[in-house]
This record gives sequence, structure tokens and C-alpha cells, in this order.
Amino acid sequence: MKMKRWVLVAMMAVGAVFRAEAGVKTGEALRALPVQDGGRVKPYDTFAQETLNGIYGKKTYEGRDAWEIVLTWMLAPTVWADKEIFELRNKDLLSALGLDSSRRWFKGDEIFGKERFPELMQDLRARRESKEKLSPYFQDLQRLENQWFLFREMATGRLLRVLPPADGDTWIPVADLPAEAQPRFLEITQEFIARLSGVEGSPERLDRAVVAFEDFARARNPQLVPSKLHIATEIFYSDFHPFRWAYVAYLLGAVALLLFWSFNKNYFVTAAWVFILAGFLLNTVGFGLRVYLAGRPPVSNMYETVVWVAWGAVLFAMILEALYKTRLILLAGAITGWLALVVADSAPVVLDPSLQPLEAVLRSNYWLIIHVMTITISYAAFFLAFILGDVGLIYHLKNPRQHADKIRGVVNAIYRCMQIGVAFLAPGIILGGVWADYSWGRFWGWDPKETWALIVLLGYLAVLHGRLSGWIKDFGLLITAVVTFSLVIMAWYGVNFVLGAGLHSYGFGAGGVEYVGGFLFLHFLFVVYVWILHRSRAPSAR
Amino acid sequence: MSDKRSGFARLMKSLASLKLAVIIMLGLSALIAWGTIVEARFDAEAARKLVYDTIWMEGALLMLAVSLIAVMVDRWPWKKKHAAFVLAHIGILFILFGGILTMKYGLDGQMTVEIGKSSRHVVLPMDTDLLVYASFGGANMTKLHEESVDYFRRPPTPEKPTRIRTDDGDIEFIDYKKYVLPSRKVVPTEEKAAGPGLRFQIQNPNVSVVEWLVQRQPDRPASHDFGPARIHLGTAPRQGSGHNEIWLTPLDDGRIHWTLFRRDSVKPAAAGITEEGGQVQTGWMGLELRVLRFYPKARENWDFEERPAPTPLTTSAVKLRFRDREQWILLNDTVRLFTDSTAYMVSYINRRIDLGFPVKLDEFQMIPYQGTSRAKEYKSRVQFPDQGPVEISMNEPGEYKGLTFYQASFQNDDQGRPIASVFSVNYDPGRWWKYLGSLIMSCGVVALFWMRRLYWPKPVGGG
Repeated sequence: MKMKRWVLVAMMAVGAVFRAEAGVKTGEALRALPVQDGGRVKPYDTFAQETLNGIYGKKTYEGRDAWEIVLTWMLAPTVWADKEIFELRNKDLLSALGLDSSRRWFKGDEIFGKERFPELMQDLRARRESKEKLSPYFQDLQRLENQWFLFREMATGRLLRVLPPADGDTWIPVADLPAEAQPRFLEITQEFIARLSGVEGSPERLDRAVVAFEDFARARNPQLVPSKLHIATEIFYSDFHPFRWAYVAYLLGAVALLLFWSFNKNYFVTAAWVFILAGFLLNTVGFGLRVYLAGRPPVSNMYETVVWVAWGAVLFAMILEALYKTRLILLAGAITGWLALVVADSAPVVLDPSLQPLEAVLRSNYWLIIHVMTITISYAAFFLAFILGDVGLIYHLKNPRQHADKIRGVVNAIYRCMQIGVAFLAPGIILGGVWADYSWGRFWGWDPKETWALIVLLGYLAVLHGRLSGWIKDFGLLITAVVTFSLVIMAWYGVNFVLGAGLHSYGFGAGGVEYVGGFLFLHFLFVVYVWILHRSRAPSAR
Repeated sequence: MSDKRSGFARLMKSLASLKLAVIIMLGLSALIAWGTIVEARFDAEAARKLVYDTIWMEGALLMLAVSLIAVMVDRWPWKKKHAAFVLAHIGILFILFGGILTMKYGLDGQMTVEIGKSSRHVVLPMDTDLLVYASFGGANMTKLHEESVDYFRRPPTPEKPTRIRTDDGDIEFIDYKKYVLPSRKVVPTEEKAAGPGLRFQIQNPNVSVVEWLVQRQPDRPASHDFGPARIHLGTAPRQGSGHNEIWLTPLDDGRIHWTLFRRDSVKPAAAGITEEGGQVQTGWMGLELRVLRFYPKARENWDFEERPAPTPLTTSAVKLRFRDREQWILLNDTVRLFTDSTAYMVSYINRRIDLGFPVKLDEFQMIPYQGTSRAKEYKSRVQFPDQGPVEISMNEPGEYKGLTFYQASFQNDDQGRPIASVFSVNYDPGRWWKYLGSLIMSCGVVALFWMRRLYWPKPVGGG
């Protein structure tokens, strides 16, 4: 009964946030103009954010939104020649170009006007022809080439594809608009400029011009233009940041639980449940929106799996908490959800949050979705066990005898998490085999991603068998919960970003290795420290 | 006797030990983790041959199987509470057994079929063969020798060469390189049966290309197709084929006769004689053809740059020695060796298996995502004997005579147009063992979650 009330409160809180964010303001209808880019049709707003981010490395420029900035590249390219908008951070590249390595942004001319620049491009082409893997230097050089391409194409009106074709599926860019469409688009640009200079009534007129153009475009080839609801949903999703709200809620939940232990008031536990449920709901809503926008369960890149793992970890924590009522499980769940979503939100270069069409191998395949979701949900259970391990080790550090009950509860939860993880991972790996068999014709091919998933499975099975054999006791389970999770990190992140080889290369990116490595290293130090303390205590005090 | 039995019992007990199981699992993990590192450093083939298909791997899996069997024997007679544990372990044994069947009797190869053509051969990319044919004058070739070699694992050396006997002396394979970046080199030769070689440049203000042409067989011209223009080395036909083309025909005096055809007529547009250093105005888009080098008798060889790790452009190569002359052969290439009376053809190729029936590719389609060149889907329409057309696409394989054909990839020409479809062809006799084992194991693992608890919520004993 009580539970029901909490769920209700949590839902009302989420609803309130929603209402505050929904709807596009006056003068901003342009954001919802459908444009074609990157293999799909998206709102101009998303296009502008991705383009600005691609060149400038941020989604706003000097406090102005991307949708206001990017169009002015086309309308007044010469103004932008003097602005430092090209982000370049690679030290080797900066020194190769003879640029000041303490700066991060440069004018176009400072980079692309350099005599050395064509030589570097030649190097890049030669490197590409050799078909060898691109080193970070060449990857950044390639990004530079792309930044230049994006800006030039945008400035000349070839990048912004606004009009669906009568035939085929390649949209027509502004530069090639047919005569009947030109005045309509001109109207938009004129009112856009008027709005920028603050002419009275221009926001309304801009909105009308945009709507008129959109209706014209839609009438030309209705099948190619997504529904207004779809476009509006994407803008809402991008404005609302459901996952950001979710991690705030998880954090508040964790804080409430800490306050409970400080002040011993039961209403803090209630508050924690409300916050965590609200966070979970937001997490679910965000996930649901992505499903709607992409037309598939979003588990095709690292970002999407991290969000999915946050969701799973919180779900498992709530279920285990309901069963065992230690409150520590709920705390660990809130921390896991918060940590995963913060990481997802703060590393857009490594974890790309944009919606991308799927690679051909991955398309329209039921087994793909099932096996990825099953395997990554097992990572959620192991992640939860990892955080529980940390919590248990902290109690161990404080005083193992005084906190014996709590540690016992944590150890039990860890064991359950590992079991849940194995119960999902083993069938998940097999489903992956079914998928590989179905689409590649072999059940098992020693691909690094599948091999590392197997290593994770073997690792946790070794821990569970070690526990059965008596090698691993309660303290050992705390330690292995933390240490074994490094296998998950390797399978989940390391294969893509450290090994970088194999058939699963469609999910590959670069970067962040030093942070992830540092995170693991600190944990190893922590484990070793607690272990040494544990050994040095008299056996009676263990 | 009783001593022996207790010895056996002790052995079973220790094989069934959980601690041994943990060690096996950790050992196996370490081994396959090493495999992924080898793959990242080199490639999938290296990982296969150095880790996954080795005696170490077989040993680890054998130990795993023994341990699984021993622990089940040890728990005999099974009780109800053992159900989940037995299921999980039997499932793994089934999967391992299926894996053995696949490895021993399965087929996993690649088939490339050009659009509009058919093929009946499957290539096994990890297996290699040496083939030697001989021709004693005339066009007929006789197979002299065929041998499977695994030079990746066991490379030949000058001390321990692979030796193939012929009437004209031994052909010896004396060296092997795993990863080389080849570039073609043409050198003059005295061998009578060798064909001519010619290096030309074709250029106008926008284009400049330099290429070699080497005519390997007297009755077959060597050609270079640039799309809008074709260059041939060989005997000119009387009529053109409706393309812009030029035929270069060597004369006995070391000069070259040329015949020019235009797209709009089958009759020669012009003809003349030129020589090394000479040039011909083609009249196609202002292109000029220069003869940079001409050898009446030429031999092809390869220049290498050896690489520490493979790239998509590297290949492997073996060095052969025949009558004191040494020469390199690239993987999937053929070399001709001449004596006064005989021509030998030596090939070092990936194993090809004749399916016994042709597969015809009617059509291939690459469907991109809207407004991009990124592939959304690949589709092939193929014909198997005595069947209507079948569509094979990514994730939608076709079946014929127990073989499964999967759409794997495709090949492009210089202009980026697809010219051939690549299928992965597969026969897996262990498939149903693996599926059955998977099902059994999954049931067991999930059931273990209910049966195996650390601390029971209420004390009911056991565990």
C-alpha cells in the first residue's frame, strides 16, 4: 500500500517536470524544421547541435543556441572567418601546424590557410590508402578535415538539406532549391535575420514563414517527412535531458539514505524511495523516447548500453531491496544509476548520445537486440555487485565486527547479484551465438567482443565456484565483487576502446582510456589497502 | 586391486574438485584473453593459429570436459536437488561436443560470385595449398603436384624446404613471410617462352596514370581498363568492340605496332608504329599515350616491404628456388617457370573446394541510407540448379543441399560500382548439439539461481 503511494508521488514529480519543459517557444519554430542529415530526417535543431558540436566541440556558442548560430554560417560566412570556432586539441597536430598549444579554438584561416595544411592532408590520404588503423593523431587530423568540410558545405548551403525530392530519397540542399521553393526559404532567412536584430514582430513572422515552408515541403513528398509528433518529440527529448534529471533524482535518493543513517528518521527512507522511483521513471521515459525516435531498442552503441545498464542496476537494486530490506542495496543501486548516467552524460566524445542509423549487419534483427540487451543487463547486475563490494569494504574498513550484520547483508546481495548476472550472461552469450549463426553462419568465431563476454562469464563462475569450494569467504566475496568487475569493464568498454579489433568494430571509438584505467587502478589500491588491514588484524577481530 | 581402485577413486575425487574447476576456468580465461590480444595486435587468423586452434586450447577444453564429467560422476546417485547443477553441466558438455563436430566435419568458407556469372568454388581463407602444373608445349596443362601447406605455423627454410620433384630439377620453397606489402616489378629476361612487358603513361592536363602491362600467354592480351579508355598489349583484332581502345602489338624488330579504335566505330581509327620513348595521340579527351619502357621478354616479380603486423593491403608470400633462380610468389598468385622444353605453373593459393554445383548471381543491390552512401542493406539474387531465383540478404541466408549461404560483403570496381557479391558458405553438423546444449545449460543456470542461496531468508537448513 505504502509502495503505491510512493510510486504515485514519484510519478507526479516527473509529470511536473515534463510540463515545465514541453513545447517550443515563440520564434523557435525553425528548430522543428525537418532536414535530412546523416541518413535520416531530423529536426533542424538536432542538426544544428550536431554540426556545431562537430566543429566547435560544444552545443552552444558564447551562450547562444546552436540553431541560431549554424544558420548564420550560411547567411554571413565572412563574419565567421574572424571567429575562433574550430576546435583543435591534439598537441602533436598543433605543433605540426605551428599553432599555440595552449589555445583550444582557432580561426579557419589559422588552420586551413597554413602552408603545412595540404601536406598534412596528403599524409592523411596516404595513411588511408595504406588501410592501416588510424592513430589518434590521424583520427584528429581526419576530424579537422571533417570540420573544414562541414563548415564549408554549411556556408555554401550544400549541407542543409531542407526540401524532400519529388523522386528518390536524397533531399535538396538550400543551394539547389528549385525556383518555386527559393522565395519561401528566403522568407525564413530574412525573418531569421530580423529576429536576430530584434525587429518587433519578427519572431511570429519567422514562425509563420517556417510553417509555410514546412507545409510546402510536406506536400511535395509527404512520405519522406516524419510526423510533426516525431519531430516535436525529438526536440522535447533533446531539451528535456531525461537522463540528467534521472541522475539528479538518484543522487538525491542516495543522499536521503545517508541522512537516514545520520539522523535515524524513517521519513528519509521514504524520501529515498520516492527519489529513486522518480529517477527510475525518468530513466524509463528517456529510454522509451529513444525507442520511439529510433524505432528500435537503443542498445547499439556504448552510450545507449550505459543508459540501459543504469536502468537495470536500479531495477535489480529495488527488487533485491524489497526482498532483503537492508537499505544498503538501495543505496548501492542509487549510486550505480547515478554513476552510470553521469558518465554517459559527461563524455559525449566517447559515448556518442546522438541518434544514428544502424550499420547494415545490425539492421532489423530481433536476435541482435535480444542478445545485446541480455548481456548488458547482466553487466548491470555485476555493476551493482561492484558498488555493493565498495560499500561492504568501507564497512570492513570501519569495523568488521561492529558492522557484521550489514556486511553479511551486503555479501548476500553481492552473491545474488552475481547469480543474476550469470543467469543473464550465460543465455545472453548463447543468444549472441544464435544471432551470429543466423546472420554470419557460425555459432562461435572467437570475435573479441564475444570472447570477452565469455571471459566475464568464466570469471564470475570461478568466483561462484570458489565460494562453493570454500576458497572465497565473505571478505573474499567483497573483494572479488570489485576486482572481477574489471573484466566487465574490459568486455564492455576495453574491447572497443583498448583492443579496437574484430568484427564488432561498428561500435568503435577512442578516448577516455586514462580515466577508466585510473578508476580501476584506484579501486585496486583501495582493495589492496583493505586487504592488508584485514590480514594485519588479529584473526579474532576479522 | 583394491589399492588401484582407491587410487582411481582418489583421482576422480581430485578431478571433481571445485578448486580444480576454478583453476581450469581461470586458465581458460587467461588463454582466450591472450587470444584477443593477439587478434588486436595481428589479425583473426593469427589468433586462430597461435591461440584458439592449438594444443593448449584443446588441452584446456579437454580438462574442462573431464572436470565436468568427474564432478557429475562424483555426485552420483543424483538427487532432486542436483537437477539444476546436472543440467547446467550437461549443457556445457553438449555445446563442447557440438563444437568438436563443427571443427571436424563442418565447412566455413567464402564464395565470390561476379554479377551475371556463376561460381562453384568455396575458398577457405585459413588453409593454403601448393599447386604445380606443367605444359610440355601447347596449351594443355598437366597437374604435377598438389600439397596442403601451413606455412604460417611451419614456415619453410633453406635448410628445411618443401621440395617438389620435376624432370627439370627440384622446385624448392625456401622462405616465407607472413605480412608483406607487395609492389609489382617487371624485369627483362632471356627466357624464350616469356611474353612482352610494357610500361606506359596516359595523360592529359587532368589525368596522368602510369601502369605496367605484361602479356603472360601468347594467345591472351594483357589489358588495362580505365572505364572510358582501354589499353591492350597483344595481337590487335580486325574490329574494335565499340570502346575507346588502343592495341599495342610488339614487332620482331623490337618496335611496337599500334591500332586505335574509337567508341563510335568498329573500324580502326588510326594505326602506326612506335617504340620505347615514343608517343601516340589518342584523340580521346586529349589523352596522350607514351611508351615509357618496353621489354620484348619480361618477367614479373615482386618488391616487398615487410610489415610487423597485417593491414588490409598486406599478404603473405613464399620464396621458391628453381635451377638456381629465386623468386617470390604471393598468396593466391601464380608464377611461370620456363625451361627449354617445359613451362611450369606454380601456385600458392587458399584452398578451394568444389561444391559440385554452380551458384549463379543474377543481381546484386546495395541499398544506402537516405541521402548517404552508407550501406543500409545488401541483397543478392542467386540461382541454384533446378530452382527459381532466391534472394539472399544480410540476416536472410539461403539454403541449398544442406549448405547455408550468407550475404557477407561485396566487391567494388574503381568507380565504386558493385561487381561481385561475397557469400559466406557454411555447413555445421554440430549446430543442433549446440542449440540443445545451450537450452539445457540456460535452464540449469537459471534454476541454480533459485536453488543455490548463500543465506536463506529464513533458516531452513541446507544450501
